Amino acid sequence: MADTQPTEMMEEDEPFFSNLDLFLFSLIAGLLIYWLIFRKKAEPIPEFKKLETAAPTTRDTSFIDKMKKTGKNIVVFYGSQTGTAEEFSNRLAKDAHRYGMKGMAADPEEYDLSELSRMGEIDNSLAIFCLATYGEGDPTDNAQDFYDWLQEADADFSGLKYTVFALGNKTYEHYNAMGKYVDKRLEELGAQRIFDLGMGDDDGNLEEDFVSWREQFWPAVCEHFGVEATGEESSIRQYELKVHTDLNMNKVYTGELGRLKSFENQKPPFDSKNPFLAPVTVNRKLNKGGERHLMHLELDITGSKIRYESGDHVAVYPINDTAMVNKIGELLAVDLDTVISLNNLDEESNKKHPFPCPTTYRTALTHYLDITNSPRTNVLYELAQYASDPKDQENMRKMASSSAEGKAQYQSWVLDSCRNIVAILEDLPSLRPPIDHLCELLPRLQARYYSISSSSKVHPNSIHICAVVVEYQTKTGRVNKGVATNWLKNKMPTDNGHKATVPMYIRKSQFRLPFKSTNPIIMIGPGTGIAPFIGFIQERGWLKEQGKEVGETVLYFGCRHKNEDFLYQEELAQFEKTGVLTTLNVAFSRDQAEKVYVQHHLKNNKEAVWKLVHTDNAHIYICGDARNMARDVQTAFYEIAEELGGMSRPQAVDYIKKLMTKGRYSQDVWS
Amino acid sequence: MEPQITDSDLSEQIKAATKDSHVRAENTELMLSYQRGRVTLQQYKLLLCSLYKIYEALEEVLDCNASHDAVAPIYFPQELSRLPALRSDLQHFYGRGWREQMQVPDAALAYVQRLQQVGREHPEYLVAHAYTRYLGDLSGGQVLGRITQRSLGLQDGEGLSFFSFPNISSPKLFKQLYRSRMNSITLTEEQRRAVLEEANTAFQLNIQVFDELQECVSCVSETEPAVRQRHTPQTQSTAADVGVCEPLQGSLSLMPRLLRTLLGVCVLLAVGMVYAF
Repeated sequence: MADTQPTEMMEEDEPFFSNLDLFLFSLIAGLLIYWLIFRKKAEPIPEFKKLETAAPTTRDTSFIDKMKKTGKNIVVFYGSQTGTAEEFSNRLAKDAHRYGMKGMAADPEEYDLSELSRMGEIDNSLAIFCLATYGEGDPTDNAQDFYDWLQEADADFSGLKYTVFALGNKTYEHYNAMGKYVDKRLEELGAQRIFDLGMGDDDGNLEEDFVSWREQFWPAVCEHFGVEATGEESSIRQYELKVHTDLNMNKVYTGELGRLKSFENQKPPFDSKNPFLAPVTVNRKLNKGGERHLMHLELDITGSKIRYESGDHVAVYPINDTAMVNKIGELLAVDLDTVISLNNLDEESNKKHPFPCPTTYRTALTHYLDITNSPRTNVLYELAQYASDPKDQENMRKMASSSAEGKAQYQSWVLDSCRNIVAILEDLPSLRPPIDHLCELLPRLQARYYSISSSSKVHPNSIHICAVVVEYQTKTGRVNKGVATNWLKNKMPTDNGHKATVPMYIRKSQFRLPFKSTNPIIMIGPGTGIAPFIGFIQERGWLKEQGKEVGETVLYFGCRHKNEDFLYQEELAQFEKTGVLTTLNVAFSRDQAEKVYVQHHLKNNKEAVWKLVHTDNAHIYICGDARNMARDVQTAFYEIAEELGGMSRPQAVDYIKKLMTKGRYSQDVWS
Repeated sequence: MEPQITDSDLSEQIKAATKDSHVRAENTELMLSYQRGRVTLQQYKLLLCSLYKIYEALEEVLDCNASHDAVAPIYFPQELSRLPALRSDLQHFYGRGWREQMQVPDAALAYVQRLQQVGREHPEYLVAHAYTRYLGDLSGGQVLGRITQRSLGLQDGEGLSFFSFPNISSPKLFKQLYRSRMNSITLTEEQRRAVLEEANTAFQLNIQVFDELQECVSCVSETEPAVRQRHTPQTQSTAADVGVCEPLQGSLSLMPRLLRTLLGVCVLLAVGMVYAF
């Protein structure tokens, strides 16, 4: 075999071999070349300029020289680890321009901070520090040298004007230690603090803390340096007005939040930018008496593909009262139906317009802008220039300033008197701002959230809302009305082809029934706080019908008067009858001399409550008023744990905290 | 009367049992550098590749076992699933051909194997893996996202979808809900012990991935001069780099399968030819 094979092959091979040889050679060569090329092509890493400049050469460590060279009077040093403080610094440096000054952000690691003693060489100079605290009260890496130096320093900072904004997290023991230290130490070294230390809490809302501080900070700076923030050279308009004269109305926004015509051509999925226009099928008054108006609404979501779970929130986009919008048009003598756009002067910004444009002033004031909340101080400050009466102008500037008198005046004239922009325009007749600037300054109209009061198992195509209409008299004799609740109140289901609709979407919450139906639940929801619990009870009822074993279902409800505002009285009675609701406990606060609330009833039933919580693994749910009720109920639980669990107050607090961590004490509360 | 605050709750036990592992994970070279903002694009991309493989496996075994008693309570695909986000991030960095260009460290493959094994043999242990990854993503993971954005100068959340959970309005509240769900899983004592052990295994697997990523990056910087001699300077060819620090099967993932097969055929033919000759 061995002999014949090679012979055979050799006979055949002569021509075959050379072909194969060529073929293989070119194949291998071709593949090799291809492979080499392919490997070369892999992974071209784009040049990241930021990485290249990560370690800057310290040719110029004098920030004073740099400031003089570039005409800056404000330097913002940042102690930043994750970049937040650095971002804030950049924003502050940019802000300076709006107030006629020039700022630059700077990394303390790159400069010689002992030069702070030279700040007096620059006119109207100011050093701002945005300092984050890291770990156990430590400075960030890039501020470590500065921190070490400060401790030893024996410098004279009498020419230095400064302010500090501290970034930290309240859950840590040494909250904002770095910022606090620098604020104190600079003063010790003779520097002049021109604005209070700002404290940002990342456990709460760091951005909000920063923005609030900044809003007060800049007016104070302007006042300190005697700088006028208004003036041709320092235009603080962010947007530029364009009036459209000949635009196809199809291109004009009429209240949509995202895509043009999204209200006319509805397409799922529905969310905050693309709400679903849900027809209102039910709108009835829930209370039998009293001055308030409590209502139950049902929204039809058939065909929307929207899914929800009991405990979720429904977000609705309300619109402002037509009369108020018209009033603004009257006061400012403007044709509200002018089609306009407000275009961002900063072309690099992602936010091209403050609200969907092009649109009309009427649409903007009705759908997009908040005209009912009291304006913030920065709005007053920017509008002041348009008050022709110098006294009005002075007052407005004062209320926006950080002086104690100004703050007090703002508190009383704006906040305590509940003055909104319309009231302010009415009460200050000399104040007549251009409407486009006003539209730039007013905040956006926000969606309102309501706890859904139905169970998707029982009502898969319907979302129920339980709300109380907000209406109250103010010190100025005006009647302020809640935007969303009054708008909802007037949404009557009609049957003549024009169904009232509500633009809505679902915001998932984490407020959920326990996974196991056998798990007992204690629900505490006075007033409209009962909303999610109606859904919960409906669902427990459904589970029971499905043959599942359902644990104890306990409700603590409270209202003012039994025969006035006992919400869902009949429904609850029915649930009790069928055994779905195992315990119903109602506190009527005003039916007797002394006030009786849910927490009192809780305490009265402390043994039963404690057994459910401590032995039977019950989940506790609180819904309703955050300010007082939630706090009082929590205290009641502390007391029960103390009395029946033999705990001290700190131990009881810890016990409840643990329940929260483990998802057995949930709150859906609002203030 | 002594207050009874004993914790037989799985969520608390798992936290206590993995405390040391957690500290070790935070103190790996890679994580320490990361926390200091010293993360390079190369590292981040490799991390994304690893995470993709890990979550691909994790989410598949969770989906398969969705109705299992020990998985159903913690099954939150809408809120938690990371795979679509990872796909989008990988596409952002590698382009359309991201599947072929991905580089996956061995440690990630080991992690994948363990997940698949647990999914097959002990679905009741899956809670340990889901807890370790997802609750981590919702806690410290959020901070890592911000650091990554800053360090790499990424705009508009591009390439950072992994860190964002659009269907969770409050990570804090979601974690509380998740823990209550963990605690509703019924386990025997033995199963409970195994779950706690599996959680530590999960941490260890993560640590191994971090360590390998750290190694890869340091060997990039070491071999770079050598690489530059072999290839044209403009491409910092990571293909070669990875080939250097990984065994052969790793570098093979670079080439499309077709090419690999052709080369194999070619070699076979060449060998056959030699033999015949």
